[in-house]
Amino acid sequence: MTTPSVPRRRLGRTVGTVAAAVIGIAFAFPLLWVLTSSLRPGNDIFSYLSPLSIGSFLPIHADPASYGALVHSDFGRAILNSIVVSLVTVVFGLLFSAMAAFGLSAIKFRGQGVLFGIVVLSFLIPFDAISIPLADLFRDVNLQNTYLGLILPGIGNGLAIFLMRQFFLAIPTEIVEAARMDGLGWWGVFTRIYLPLSKPTLVGAGMTLFLFQWQAYMWPLLIGTEPSKQLAPIALANMRGQFTVDFGQVFAGSLVLTVIPLVLILVFQRHYTQSLASTGTKD
Amino acid sequence: MTTVTKTKETVAPQRKAKRPLWMRLRQSPAAAALLFLAPGLLFLVVLRIAPAVSAVASSLFHYSLLRDTTSFVGFDNYATLFRDSDFHQAVLVTLLFNVIINPLQIAVSLALAVLLNQKLAGVRFWRALVFLPIAVPPAVSAVVWDVAFQPNGLINAFLRVFGLPAQPFLTSGSQALWSIMILCSWIGVGYWMMFLISGLNDIPTSLYEASTLDGAGAWKRFWYITFPMLRRPLAFVLVADTVSNFLVFAPVQILTNGGPENATNLAMFDIYRRAFTLGNMNLAQAEVVLLMLVTLVVVAVQFRLLRSKE
Repeated sequence: MTTPSVPRRRLGRTVGTVAAAVIGIAFAFPLLWVLTSSLRPGNDIFSYLSPLSIGSFLPIHADPASYGALVHSDFGRAILNSIVVSLVTVVFGLLFSAMAAFGLSAIKFRGQGVLFGIVVLSFLIPFDAISIPLADLFRDVNLQNTYLGLILPGIGNGLAIFLMRQFFLAIPTEIVEAARMDGLGWWGVFTRIYLPLSKPTLVGAGMTLFLFQWQAYMWPLLIGTEPSKQLAPIALANMRGQFTVDFGQVFAGSLVLTVIPLVLILVFQRHYTQSLASTGTKD
Repeated sequence: MTTVTKTKETVAPQRKAKRPLWMRLRQSPAAAALLFLAPGLLFLVVLRIAPAVSAVASSLFHYSLLRDTTSFVGFDNYATLFRDSDFHQAVLVTLLFNVIINPLQIAVSLALAVLLNQKLAGVRFWRALVFLPIAVPPAVSAVVWDVAFQPNGLINAFLRVFGLPAQPFLTSGSQALWSIMILCSWIGVGYWMMFLISGLNDIPTSLYEASTLDGAGAWKRFWYITFPMLRRPLAFVLVADTVSNFLVFAPVQILTNGGPENATNLAMFDIYRRAFTLGNMNLAQAEVVLLMLVTLVVVAVQFRLLRSKE
């Protein structure tokens, strides 16, 4: 046996722990800075940066004024828009994707492969790349600056269908056949058997749909230009592009835009990472 | 549930010939499946495939503002692009960006995945800290790092502590692209690490135990067990990461507008600029088609990578 000696292993573990701690703190550090800066109204953050000290990063003398101001600015409205657009996308996206996945897995029929091919093809086409031609088509039918125009592209999500199909395929067909024999219709099989069994994958696909909309930048930039229809990332970018920038508000907005998906990811982390990881690592 | 599985054999296709057509259709599994598929597929066809086809079609036409007519020009738009020096610059910048950022992000994600998958004190917490930035939307990362990169911002404040001179970052032709790589990697690395950690956990521990008995050191174990067993997740991460980095847009549009002197004119921004600043939609569509082709080639390579061994 040539396992490393105990002291050497202990040393390795200590070095590893120190490295893990330093890296972890380095990654989270900018977020701490965002939090602290969001509690320093106006351009106060710059005076805290020279000279640099521990106090530059700790929220001492915290003043939440920027959050109050944010509520009454264009950004407040934009955050509401983002929430509405993302939630509606999740509800309809989950329903239609789950239905499609059901049609591609629970029921066997000729030509299924071709239809699944459409799903695969659609998620191989990167959305950002086609958003300029799509925006052109949307303008032709007057969908610019409408909630419908902002929501629709998020609902058709090939990846969500793919994720759920993978999961549905693992449900034994005997259950379906037995339920059919008992007189349960396909809709019943879908809502009473498949959906209740699929909570983890529904959460994973729901997160995929939510984050797609929440993080979108190109599409809302192309289609939601009117202030009343701006989404939060656009409003944030505009805030930073103004002639006089209120950095306290920019950071407060950044924090709000980050905390909402962060809480969801942390709550659903296990489901989310599992279902995503299954796209790449398994067949 | 055990009582119902007995009556399995009576799936009844033989009786349906006598029924009227609509009833047969109602009974047919294909019709039921199509009803379930219809809304989802309709969305995909209209919102993903139709615009791709429309980009291809539109790239073959030319719209003349003077005469307000659209005429078929074949591959002229592509020829124009290939002669255009801004397009050359965009291709060059996009390639340079990807040649650097993809290996870098994947090497860092892999190293972090291996490190943070060890049994270390508080490792779950450190891992969570690396995860945190994956919640940050690209536009937010751009805005936050913009302030950090300011002449009197966070990074220069750090440099000053170490007695180093202030750097221009986003306003420098040689530093702007690197600055964008940093803000993309901050939110990207933890995300890709997640896939690799899940791949690491799928490797049977018995392999490691056996190799330890055989006297293999840590490096040998990584090279002969971890690396080959991670092939699938690595290939996936490589492709997904490459595709997403070919499409970087928000940081460029928010921070540099492709500048200074086109140094950050990545392909997506070049397309956007052509469509809206220069107003040449047909040329933009031709570039969209080229970008789609590049990403499809990257994905095709992935399928080869994944298949070659099985």
